[in-house]
Amino acid sequence: MSASNSLGNVVTIAEFELRKVRHDVSQLFIRAIQPALWLIVFGEVFTRVRVLPDASYSYLQFLTPGVLAQSVIFIAIFFGLALVWERDLGLVHKLLSTPAPRYSIVLGKTLSAGVRSVLQAVVIFVLALAIGVPLNVNPLAVTGVFLVIVLSGMCFSGLSIFLASLLKTRERMTGIGQAIVMPLFFASSAIYPVDLMPAWLQYVARINPLSYVVDAMRALLVTGQFGNLPVDVGALVLATTLVIVLATWTFRRIIE
Amino acid sequence: MNIIEVEGLSRRFGQFTAVDNVSFQVEQGAVFGLLGPNGAGKTTTIRCLLTLIRPSSGSARIAGIDVVKKPEQVRQITGYVPQDVSIDGDLSGYENLLLYAKLFHVPRAERRRRIDEVLEFLQLTDRANDIVRAYSGGMMRRLEIGQVLVNRPKVLFLDEPSIGLDPAAKRMVWDYVVRMRDEFGATILLTTHDMYEADELCDRVAIMNGGKIVVSGSPEELKETLGGDVVSITTSVAGCGEVLQGLGYHLLGSSENGMCDVVVSEADSTIPRILEGLRNRGINVTSISLKRATLDDVFLKYAGKRIEDGEPAWRGMRAARRAFRRRSK
Repeated sequence: MSASNSLGNVVTIAEFELRKVRHDVSQLFIRAIQPALWLIVFGEVFTRVRVLPDASYSYLQFLTPGVLAQSVIFIAIFFGLALVWERDLGLVHKLLSTPAPRYSIVLGKTLSAGVRSVLQAVVIFVLALAIGVPLNVNPLAVTGVFLVIVLSGMCFSGLSIFLASLLKTRERMTGIGQAIVMPLFFASSAIYPVDLMPAWLQYVARINPLSYVVDAMRALLVTGQFGNLPVDVGALVLATTLVIVLATWTFRRIIE
Repeated sequence: MNIIEVEGLSRRFGQFTAVDNVSFQVEQGAVFGLLGPNGAGKTTTIRCLLTLIRPSSGSARIAGIDVVKKPEQVRQITGYVPQDVSIDGDLSGYENLLLYAKLFHVPRAERRRRIDEVLEFLQLTDRANDIVRAYSGGMMRRLEIGQVLVNRPKVLFLDEPSIGLDPAAKRMVWDYVVRMRDEFGATILLTTHDMYEADELCDRVAIMNGGKIVVSGSPEELKETLGGDVVSITTSVAGCGEVLQGLGYHLLGSSENGMCDVVVSEADSTIPRILEGLRNRGINVTSISLKRATLDDVFLKYAGKRIEDGEPAWRGMRAARRAFRRRSK
C-alpha cells in the first residue's frame, strides 16, 4: 500500500462524511440553536454580573470563543454515536473489508468531524458579529481560529471514536457523552476565567484540552496576547495525536 | 484450480468454539454455499476469510494469498456484502458506489465507466442520484452488492444475500448471483439458512452445524446420499417412526405428535406396504405424501434436526431494520 493511497483513503472518508452534510444543510442551523442561546441569553445576563472587573473587553467578547468551542465539542463528543449506529447495521464491517487501513478510517472520520465543526462555527461566528460582539476579523487570526477548530473537532471526535469502540452501544455512548461533556465545559476557561475557580478545579482545567482550545481562540479573536499560543496549540496537537493513536488501536474492537 | 483453500480453520471466543476445525476448497468460478442454521458458524468462517477476525488456528488462502500474513492483499481482491444494511442511507446511490470505487483504488479514469456499468447491471441507473433511504429493500440489497462489484472482486462473499426480501426481490438477487459469476467472472461464496436458495444457486454446498462442516458436495450428490425420495406420514398416535424402523424402513426423523419421514427408493410399490404395515399394528394414517429429497432432509440426516427447528423470530429482523432505517431519518 503506497502512502498516496493511504492519504487518498483519509480524504475519501472525510469527503463522503461531508457530502452527507451537503445533503442536509439544515442540521448546521439546528445544531447552532444551543450555542446561540448561550451567547444571547447567558452572555447578555452575565455581562451585567461583571465577572471580569479589570478586563479591557466585555464579557460577551470573553464568552464568544468559549461558545465557539462549546459548539464544537458538544457535537464531536457524540460522533461515536453515529459510528455505533453504523456498526449495528453493517457499514463498519464492510468498510473494514476494503483495503483501507484502520488508521486511515479513523483519521478520515475525525478529519470530517473537524471540517464539519468549522461549518458549525461559521454559523456561530457570523451570529456573534451580527449581535455586535467586537472580534478581531484579521484574516490571519480568523484562519488560525478555524485551524484550532479543525484540530479540536478531530481531538474530541477521536475521543468519541475511542469510547465507542470500547462501549459499543448507543445507550452507553449517550450516557458517557452526557457525563463528560458538562465537566469538560465547566472545568475549562470557556465561560469564566480559571482564576475564579477553587484551587482543585484549576488543576482540572489545566489538564482539560478544552481550556487550551478556548485560550488559543481568545488570544486570536479578543485579547491579541499571543504569548501562550505555542503552548495552547502544542497541547492541542499532542492531545489530538494521542486520542487518534488510541482510537486506531481500539477501532477494530468495535466489530467484536 | 481452487481459489479458496481452507485448512483446519478454528475460531474460539473465550470458551465458545464458533468455528471448529473447518476445511474446504472452492473452485474458481463456482458458486459455493455454506448452509446451516443460525449460529452454525457460517458468518464467523467468512469473516476469518475476509481478514475481519483472525483465526484461532488453521489457515486459509484466497487466490494463494494467506489471510493472516497478507490481509491487505486479500481485501484488495475480495468483496463482502454483510447480512445487515451496509450502504449509507444519507448518500445517493451514485455516491455510495463512488465511495467504494475510491476506497478500492479503482483508477480515476475508469471510475465513471465502472460505476455506470454497475448501475446498468443492477438496473439502478434511473435512481442513481436519489438518496438511498428512499430505496426499497430490494434496491438497497442490489446497491450493497454493487458497492463491491465496482472493484471487480475475484471472490465475492455474500452473507445471507436474500434474507428479509420479498419473493420477487429474492428471485432477482438469485439471478444476479449467477450473472455475477458469468459476466464478472467472480467466484461466489454465500452463506444461507435457506435450503431452496442453496439448492437453486450453488454448485457445491457445505452443510455446517455447531461450528463444523457435517457434509459437503453438490446439492445433487448430497440428496442422492439419502438413497431415494422422502415419504412423510402423519398418524393419529405417536410412535409410527419406531414401528417403521422396526419394519426395516430407513427412518429420517420423527416427531412426538405422530409425524415421521422415511426414505424410500421405489415409492410406487413401497407406499402401499407402509400403509399396510402400520394398519396391521393398529396405527391409523391420516395423511401421507411423497416429495423429492431436499437439502433440509440431508441436513436432518447428518445433523439430527431440521434447519428451521427452533429458529427464533430473527428472520424478520433484517427487514424490520431496513424499514426502521428508512422511517427514522
